[in-house]
Order: sequence, then C-alpha cells, then structure tokens
Amino acid sequence: MKKFNADAMGETLLRKLAGGSSRRSILSRLGAALVAAPVFPLLPVSRAEAAKPDRSPETKTYFARTAQTKDDTKCDYWRYCAIDGALCTCCGGGIHSCPPGAEPSPVSWVGTCINPDDGKAYLIAYRDCCGKPACGQCGCDNTDRETQLYMPQLNNDVIWCFGTSSMEYHCSTAVLVGAAS
Amino acid sequence: MSNAARRIFAATSLSCALILSAASAMAAPADTKASVEPEESNTLTIDPPKPTWFFVDGGWDSPGTSIFDGDSGKMKGMVETRRLADMAIDPAGKYYYVAETIWSKGDRGTRQDMVTVYDSSTLNLVTEITMPGRLLIGSRKNNFIVSDDGKTAYVYDFSPTSGVNIVDLTKRKLVSAIELPGCASMMPNPGVGFSALCSDGSLATVAVKGTKANITHGAPFFDATNDPIFDNFAYDRKKKETTFLTYTGQIYTAKMGAVPTVSAPFSLQAAAGVRVGDTKPLDLNWFPGGRQPMALHRPTGQLFVLMHKGEYWSHKEAGTEVWQVDLASQKVVKRFTLKEPMGNIEVSQTDKPLLFMNDEKKNGLILDVATGEEKHKIENAGAGIITVLEPS
Repeated sequence: MKKFNADAMGETLLRKLAGGSSRRSILSRLGAALVAAPVFPLLPVSRAEAAKPDRSPETKTYFARTAQTKDDTKCDYWRYCAIDGALCTCCGGGIHSCPPGAEPSPVSWVGTCINPDDGKAYLIAYRDCCGKPACGQCGCDNTDRETQLYMPQLNNDVIWCFGTSSMEYHCSTAVLVGAAS
Repeated sequence: MSNAARRIFAATSLSCALILSAASAMAAPADTKASVEPEESNTLTIDPPKPTWFFVDGGWDSPGTSIFDGDSGKMKGMVETRRLADMAIDPAGKYYYVAETIWSKGDRGTRQDMVTVYDSSTLNLVTEITMPGRLLIGSRKNNFIVSDDGKTAYVYDFSPTSGVNIVDLTKRKLVSAIELPGCASMMPNPGVGFSALCSDGSLATVAVKGTKANITHGAPFFDATNDPIFDNFAYDRKKKETTFLTYTGQIYTAKMGAVPTVSAPFSLQAAAGVRVGDTKPLDLNWFPGGRQPMALHRPTGQLFVLMHKGEYWSHKEAGTEVWQVDLASQKVVKRFTLKEPMGNIEVSQTDKPLLFMNDEKKNGLILDVATGEEKHKIENAGAGIITVLEPS
C-alpha cells in the first residue's frame, strides 16, 4: 500500500501554489511554518493509516452512515463531513469552484470523509471563497474529526481567506485532494 | 410611473407638507401657553461593570456587544464590537478592550489590526493600539486575554503562522510579537506571562520578560486529535487555576505557575451516574456541546455545562440540559432541563448566581441557579459569546 503523508502533501501543494502565485510572501511564510513548527501535528489520516482501516458501519460516524453522493447542494453530501459555512454550490459556484468574482483561498482546513459508493476515505480540502459578503445560502456545520484552534488545520471556524486580496468570507468549497488510505 | 403611482406620490408629499406646516404653525402658541420646558438631547453615562451584568456579543450577523443586567433583564448599553472582534474587561473596571480588525475600504484596502480602548463610564473611544495582526475566527474567549493585574494583553495571531502580540495596556503600545508554533487558546499565568494549549496535547508556558519570551512545554496530558479540550475554558484569578473540558466530557484542572501542574481528570458523565463518554461511533450518550459549552462559578467551584444526547463528534450541538458539577466532590449536583436548546452559557460571579444562555436565533435566557426559575427571556439579545465580570 502506498504510504500517505498528509503533511508532505500539504507542503507539495503549497509549493506548487507558491510557484504560480504572486502572493509568494504569505505562502512561503506558511510553508516555513509547516516545516519549522517542532510540534506541528500529523493529520489524523496519517495516524489512522498505521492501523488497517475498518470501514464497517459500526466504525462510521453518524454523518458517514447517512451521507449521499448525488446532491452536492445538501449538507449530507459525503464530502461535507467537516464543512462549516455556506455551500458554494448554492451560491453560483461549484464543488471546487468559486462563484463569479470570488477568489479561492490557497490554504484551508481539511477533512477525511468516506465516500459511501466505494467505502473509501478521501482527504477533502475545504477552501473558502473570499472577497464577497457571506453568501447566506445552504448553511452547514458538520464536525466529523473537527478539532479546536491549537490544531487550526482541522478547525472549521477559522476564516481561511489568507493570501487572497480580500479576507471577506463568501462560501466554502470541498476539493478532493486524494485518497486517504 | 403609472397614473395611480403618481397620485399616491402626490398625496403622500402633500400630507407630509401639511404635517410639517401644522407643526410649525402650532409650535409657538402651545409652548407659551403651557410653559413647557423645551427638551435638549443628551447622552447618558453608565456605571462601571457590575457582577450581575452579562456582555453578549451579537454574533456573525449583528455587530455590537449588548450589556444586560441579569436582575432586571434590561439592556444598559453597548460596547462597539464588529464581526469577529474579541472583547475583554479591564480587571479594574475602568475600560473595555476590543481586539478588532478593520479595512480602509470596508472589506478591502489597507488592513488595520488594533486593540481599541473604551471608557467604561462613557463607552466612548479612548485610543487605539496598533498591532501586526490577529486571527479572524469569532466566538473564542481565549484569543484575547488580559493579565490579572490589568497591565498586559495577549492577542492571538495566525497569519497563517501562529503567534501572539504582547500589548502594554498601561503605556498603550505593542511590546512585541512572538511566534508560538503549534499552540493557541491562552490563559493568564500571573508573574510568568501566559500559558496555552498545544496540538501535542501539552500546555505551553510562555515566560515573558520585556520583549523576550521563553516557551516551555509540559508533558502531554490530553489527545488533541481524538478528544480535544474545548477552546472556551475558564480561568480563575483567585485560585490561579484553569478548568478544562474535553469533547468526551473529561474535566481537568491546571494550577498555573512557572511549571503548571495538571490534575488527574474525571468524567462529567460518571459524575452524574451516567456511562463515561466515549469516542466510538454508535455510542449514544450525553455529551457536552455548543460554542461556549461551559461556565465556571469561581467563588463556589461549580461548573455549568451545556449537555445534549448524541454520538461523538457532535461537539457543536446546542445543549438541551445544563449540568451543574461540584468540582470539589466531582459530582453533578443538579440538572436543568431547557425548553429550547442553547449554544452559549455564562454565569454571574455573584452570591446568588444567574445563568445567561443564548441560541443561534439570538434569544437570551436568564435562569436563577438556586430555584431553576426562568427570570427573563430576551429577544435579539445576540447569538455570540457571553462575558461576565470576574472576581479579582
């Protein structure tokens, strides 16, 4: 089985973004923080990976047992297991697309959600779309494995509009990053 | 404009004109005959913060922190707090401090981060203390804290590197901005500086001397990934202790100092004779939850916790009951049933404690702890977190 390292993946993504972005300073600062932080935690997926994943219904959270894969404008869509905010799919955007005029944040919090169609876990990046007033449509607040501020990358209350031209929060997307196991 | 619309517009304009002219024509004779003193507009002042007052943040949709008197249920005034601002009360009661972020052109332009100082009597702006940045999150009590002596403020920053701004409230200027990797959620640590919770499950202690800060970590004592401590914990100035609550319902106490000591935890559910909270799915139990899920009555060591029935990872769910825990005997001594679920809770630090709770619909509720009686219901009280004056 291929080893999954979410921290390394985060850094690779950030480096790619930093290379193609004019906002290098903030991204390089974040990159430095990820590398330098002595106690920067491993994501739960990396820890869970040590044990053989068990996706039986008894080990699934309430959200995972009741999630669906057909309608991404509903709070129970499988990728939204740890989303907080307005769904961009209800605001003129898409599952990984910002509505017109809004700007995706290059950094985000993450969730590990199970797709009920194949029973596998995937890493989801909840990237905020920024620069317009709060959309107000389809407000959701799902909290599977959502933690507190001392683990900010797993906290869904932070306004993640860093490195964007405006820090005003508009809505949230759920970008598929990769398989978590 | 249609003919009908024109007629309505003309009629409205005419009636306005008639009211205005009638008012001006009648004003002079009425005043001279009845010898009524004409009134002048003025502005009232307000008492210094009182232990029976509750400061309720409007929440995401409503700026401003409303001040309610718990005894009367009446509003006394408002502190200016915009969206995602954090407020702290000067321990001496002379000022309200607000850590906030504004932009020169509304939501764009130049970003400005500051601690804004308001006089607690006039509620007027005294000054602004500029600082490098702060985290935008809201609903957190421990991102902006004031030292017990009222001289220093600590403002959590995440930009997105984790750090803290140290602000001198006497000289009203920034002392330094330090990095604090992997830790957040601060508490005062008198004579030392401050402490903070960390992602490795430890408590970091930051010894502050002038512009220098020395960070040390204690041994990890909680699981930040699987059973996190709620950010909105409570600190007691007299005992120099902090009370923590985890998602599963474990309660810890930490004694502050150069090397803080953390007590062995006990289970909130076991304290009520209920099965201990577990992280496993499909385990329906009572769990703590909400945005501000607990409140500590410091003089008597009573902890009030918003509780709901559900499965694990439901830590933001509003409470349908309030459990009163006696920390010394580790027993739940009373359970209050709520008519409507509530997301935030605070308690007055008075001899006859009052609970203030609110929900996402901005409804406020004041309960008498001794009798469980509902004293006041307040519509549009605010949906954000609640602050009280703490004993010094």
